[in-house]
Amino acid sequence: MTRNHLQGKVAEMENFAGHLEEIFLTVEENFGRREQHLEQHYNDVLQTLSQRYDERAAGLEEEKKSKLEALYRQLLACGQALDASKELIETAQEIYRSRDKRLFLKVCVSPSAPVINPQMPNSATQTSLRVCWSLFSDDTVEYYELYYRPVLEDMPADSTLPSPPVIKQRECTSCPEAALIRWESGNTNPVDSYNVELSEMGTDGTESGVTESIVAVPTCQCLIQLQTGRRYLISVRAVNIGGPSDRSDVIIVSTTGTFFHLLEETAHPCLSISEDGFTMFYGDEEFPFYECKYVHCVCVCTYRCVAVLGDLIPVRGRHYWEVEVDDGTEFRIGVAYVDTERSSYLGANNTSWCMRHILTPTRHKYEFLHNGWSPDLRITVNPVRIGVALDYERGTLSFFNVDLEQHLHTFHCHFQSYVHPCFGLDNPGALTVHNSIEAPEYTFT
Amino acid sequence: MALTQVSSNKCAGGFQKVFEHDSTELKCKMKFAVYLPPKAETGKCPVMYWLSGLTCTEQNFITKAGSQLAAAEHGIIIVAPDTSPRGCDIEGENESWDFGTGAGFYVDATEEPWKTNYRMYSYVTEELPKLINANFPTDPDRTSISGHSMGGHGALICALKNPGKYKAVSAFAPICNPVQCPWGQKAFSGYLGSDRSTWEAYDATVLAASYSGPQLDILIDQGRDDQFLSASQLLPDNLIAVCSEKKIPVVFRLQPGYDHSYFFIFSFMNDHIKHHAKFLNA
Repeated sequence: MTRNHLQGKVAEMENFAGHLEEIFLTVEENFGRREQHLEQHYNDVLQTLSQRYDERAAGLEEEKKSKLEALYRQLLACGQALDASKELIETAQEIYRSRDKRLFLKVCVSPSAPVINPQMPNSATQTSLRVCWSLFSDDTVEYYELYYRPVLEDMPADSTLPSPPVIKQRECTSCPEAALIRWESGNTNPVDSYNVELSEMGTDGTESGVTESIVAVPTCQCLIQLQTGRRYLISVRAVNIGGPSDRSDVIIVSTTGTFFHLLEETAHPCLSISEDGFTMFYGDEEFPFYECKYVHCVCVCTYRCVAVLGDLIPVRGRHYWEVEVDDGTEFRIGVAYVDTERSSYLGANNTSWCMRHILTPTRHKYEFLHNGWSPDLRITVNPVRIGVALDYERGTLSFFNVDLEQHLHTFHCHFQSYVHPCFGLDNPGALTVHNSIEAPEYTFT
Repeated sequence: MALTQVSSNKCAGGFQKVFEHDSTELKCKMKFAVYLPPKAETGKCPVMYWLSGLTCTEQNFITKAGSQLAAAEHGIIIVAPDTSPRGCDIEGENESWDFGTGAGFYVDATEEPWKTNYRMYSYVTEELPKLINANFPTDPDRTSISGHSMGGHGALICALKNPGKYKAVSAFAPICNPVQCPWGQKAFSGYLGSDRSTWEAYDATVLAASYSGPQLDILIDQGRDDQFLSASQLLPDNLIAVCSEKKIPVVFRLQPGYDHSYFFIFSFMNDHIKHHAKFLNA
């Protein structure tokens, strides 16, 4: 029994040893595999490291190279600066050591003008001329330039005097205290200044000799202070170095009432102005589109109001004028600033004031418009001659029925700048402006 | 023609005075106000007569209308009578505010019991001017007339019935066509009786239609927010229509926001005095 037990145990042990051997072999296999992996991994890491090292080393190499180059350039520049400084020091030393100190201060001057000697006898032929000149001995001259110009035979001796100006009759305006005269230069060459001469006309129509002269007028216009209720003869002379020109044609100015022309360039295309310039007509014709033109940067096509402005003298006093219409004329009469919007109706904005007549089927309607607003008024007798009185100081614009001497309405407004009389027609019709009328007493009380 | 001074106050460089007298037309004591401008101290001045409206006395105009400064500036004497006879003790005279006391309507009554005392038309056009010219430094040829409401009616009819007598006329919210409005119909039937043809002699619209005389230049101001305008008591359109047809010069101004009160009168008094001055000082 013990033999079997032992044999059994031996067999068990041999079995167990066999298992152990198997296990040992397996472990050995695993170990071998692991070793291989590790070796592989180790090689990979080594490779990556050496790659990275190579890259970084190359970058550093570049950096080093460029820094060395920059440094080298700086050193070069330094060397050049040292050379320049050395030169400067040598120059300064030379100047310091030189005998003649004045040479250091020597300045370069342009030479004086040569003096042409008078023409010597027998120094000219038909085709040549001998010209001699002298110069200042102190000048250093590199070369001379000689200019010549033929002189025309028929030039008059006093050719340097200017021509007389031409007074622009339609652009002159006046009022009881002053006149504004405008003229054309009359000369192609520039003129130094103008002299305005005025003399009073006696009651018998004779000229009383020059009574006043305004000199050194710089531009082609002059505002002259005058006495009320007189007549003056005014003329202009152009002046330059040679002296004054002949007198221009004379203009007669009357200081009775205010006088102005219509500014035809401000007229709506549908408006035609009579030859004397004081009557305007709005005809039935179609809008003349071919008459498009620009005035002050705005095309006249955009003008809504068929109107025209007057050229009132820019004097802040009292002005009076009259307008003649028909019973049926639908008009707008008043004043406006020169830059009033022409694309809106007169009186519809705050830059214009006007009296407006509207004809309805049942009655006549009158409005006094400013900024689109009018007081509510009834007038029983339709005015056909309207007096307009403008007083800058008082800030009033009044309207009158002249035939009845009846006051119609007064605007009270502070005029910021000069205004222009304005005349408009809302429907075909005509209107005549009368001025140079002494303001009736009832108009400026 | 004896005048008794009731009060005197210096005003605008001149004097605002009130006088009382025995009226021969009205058969009672009557007061009137008179403003004497500075110029009256040294020379003769033109006279403007002011006729007040319903319920007023001679006091309302001189204390509320603000006329003295302009009157002083233009050198005009302003006379403002009362609006009816006072203290006559007539039965019914105090029953309404728009008939009797304070509502004389500037007519010469023909009906009893009014005909003895209620002769405001003759008082204003005859007796008062004589009195004023005799007692104050006036230029009798230069007079004008103005008024408010019932006084506006008075001013218009006085001017239209007396061509050439008044150099200027103006009115504030006048009763333009009394025969067509309740006020006028009540007053005229009471003072003048039931025959409407007698009323027309005191109606500005009717008188304008048949006016012939020197050219007038009438200034009328009317408040647009005047309750009596909307109540059809004033009827300015009727007058304007007739004046347009007959070519009587009128400038009628409708003033937005203004009512029937003395605030409205005050606001445009300067314009009216200036209008009168234009003719009185010409």
